[in-house]
Amino acid sequence: MSPMAQAAVEHYVGLSKQLNSSEVNADVVTARQRAQTVLLAQGFPTQRDEAWQYTRLVNFVQKRFEIATQRPDSTVDLNALQNFLPPLSPSFEVIKLVFVDGCFHADLSDDLLSLPKGLTIQFTTAQLPDEKRVDSEAFAVLNQALLSDGFTLEVSQNSAIETPVWVLNIQTKSNQLNNLTNQVQVASNAELTLIQQFVTLEGVEACTNVVTHVDIADSARVRQAVLQQQADASFYFHNQFVSQADNSDFNTFYAGMGSVLSRHQNHLLMNGEHIENSQNSACLARQKQVVDSRTDTEHNQEWGASRQLHKYVLADSAVGVFNGMIKVDRLAQKTDGQMDNKNLLLSSAAKMNSKPQLEIYADDVKCSHGSATGQINQDQIFYLQARGIPRNQAIEMITKAFLMEPVETINRSEVKKWVGGLLSHALLTGGYFSGGEA
Amino acid sequence: MLLNIKNLQAEIDEKQILKGLNLEINPGEVHAIMGPNGAGKSTLASVLAGKDNYEVTAGSVAFDGQDLLDLDPEERARKGLFLAFQYPVEIPGVSNKLFMQTAVNAVREEQGLPPLDMFDFDAYAKDKIELLEMRPDLLERSVNVGFSGGEKKRNDIFQMALLQPKLCILDETDSGLDIDALRLVANGINTLRSEERSFIVVTHYQRLLDYIKPDHVHVLYDGKVIKSGGFELVHELEENGYDEIVKQHQQA
Repeated sequence: MSPMAQAAVEHYVGLSKQLNSSEVNADVVTARQRAQTVLLAQGFPTQRDEAWQYTRLVNFVQKRFEIATQRPDSTVDLNALQNFLPPLSPSFEVIKLVFVDGCFHADLSDDLLSLPKGLTIQFTTAQLPDEKRVDSEAFAVLNQALLSDGFTLEVSQNSAIETPVWVLNIQTKSNQLNNLTNQVQVASNAELTLIQQFVTLEGVEACTNVVTHVDIADSARVRQAVLQQQADASFYFHNQFVSQADNSDFNTFYAGMGSVLSRHQNHLLMNGEHIENSQNSACLARQKQVVDSRTDTEHNQEWGASRQLHKYVLADSAVGVFNGMIKVDRLAQKTDGQMDNKNLLLSSAAKMNSKPQLEIYADDVKCSHGSATGQINQDQIFYLQARGIPRNQAIEMITKAFLMEPVETINRSEVKKWVGGLLSHALLTGGYFSGGEA
Repeated sequence: MLLNIKNLQAEIDEKQILKGLNLEINPGEVHAIMGPNGAGKSTLASVLAGKDNYEVTAGSVAFDGQDLLDLDPEERARKGLFLAFQYPVEIPGVSNKLFMQTAVNAVREEQGLPPLDMFDFDAYAKDKIELLEMRPDLLERSVNVGFSGGEKKRNDIFQMALLQPKLCILDETDSGLDIDALRLVANGINTLRSEERSFIVVTHYQRLLDYIKPDHVHVLYDGKVIKSGGFELVHELEENGYDEIVKQHQQA
């Protein structure tokens, strides 16, 4: 590890110890201490780590992000946020939870006393999931070392929660590490739609480090959308540890539309038979942004079906990284796994690093993976021009259509429409086409 | 005169394809351009539509009194020039509806007309879909994605019907069509004929021309028109092939 990275590790371990000095929950103290030890031993990944080869942390380890000391922070300008909120809000009914600078804000959120039957939401660091996989991800370890905020959402058996839960995370201050640990537990035959949105005020340079544990019991159904729209100088790391039981269905969509460096990871265990899931993403990057999305899908039992479509649009000298692994255990016969990654480069300086992988130990399976990267087809542009559509508009139409394909996998039509609108707005107003090269 | 091509010379990848081509077209006329492979037929169509990998090295093209070569492809389309592609392009994710509503409104803007909203456009398009016997779900589908060769070419004719151009250039629209598809395409073209609208039908075969019955037929060879005549020239070519005409041209 470089001296710079070593100093960063010590800085965050120091913050963790500081949190522990005033902690009353012994389990939390223990968890943080354990994470401190792991973080000190493993440090932050370097370019030599294969999983971080194209997602360099040099800029991150140079920073010394702090954690909010005042909880909740009384200096936050609520009036400013009241003005900031409406354009972001979905046009459909939601159960709204708002976090500001990492702390839950009851004033901005819906009344938690009137939640639908079968849904409970808490903000205490409740029972910690025993998650060995956390140790293999530096930012999940960091998350545990700084364990303090987040939500715990439970849906009881047979409860279908019709109204989507919308968790909006707003970062208003620079130089802060917004550390969130979320737990979602959906019991047998229950159903939930969860939207997690990450935004910052304009110009904020902060770091959001999230771990979301999702536990899906047998025959339960979970639909999730994660929208990342942070300001250009911010960082975003999100590790999702998901486990699914028999006959359950999980559908997750990630939209990466911001941050200088962002990395969204699904670690998905299919620990039952007849499990279905769909993991999709649409990512946009320009200038020198690095957008990284990866999935690790483990088929561990028979008759599992997993679907994936990940699309990137990269402008200027942006870098995209996709890494997907489908692992099929020898017990997981009749597995049906499909993973696709398609990327559109709007400039010749943009780069895509794609690595779809399969590791198959069963013999009766159907698995495929593919990746394609290219620029817009000139014949397509000319075809639209030849019908009277100006070149710039033709490029925008083709790019938007390309990016929208994975949005089609979102099950609920109102969520699909809203997410599609956000992505389209980001693409058409975010300066992706100003380079003029296509 | 609607189109006046004088001494047109054009090259691609530094290889000269058009070598001084002349052609005059009046409103309402249907001209067929025939010729062996490599004569420059498709190059002529592409140059007129403004495809940017062709470079015009000499000559002029006046379209409706304007310098056509000075215009971007989209400006040419807005002013009433239409190219039906030899290979219509697939555009995944862009619906025919979005595509054609945008295109129709671009042309209307040029003509100083207000844009058609969704409902007006639907009604306008529905008539043309019925006229051309297109599949009813055409507008909802992505442009040409999953279409057979015949359906793609008919989709181009459908676009032509919507845009109501002054000059329609059909670049080997008949190639690869079975007899039924050919008849549908030909009917589509015939229903669009009018006293103001002119056609350039680029083709290798006489099949389509039997349905369309062009007013003028030109033989293109080695980048030039080497013979022009009426519809009877089509049958002369059918019987004798291009060899005879090429030989006469080379001796002359």
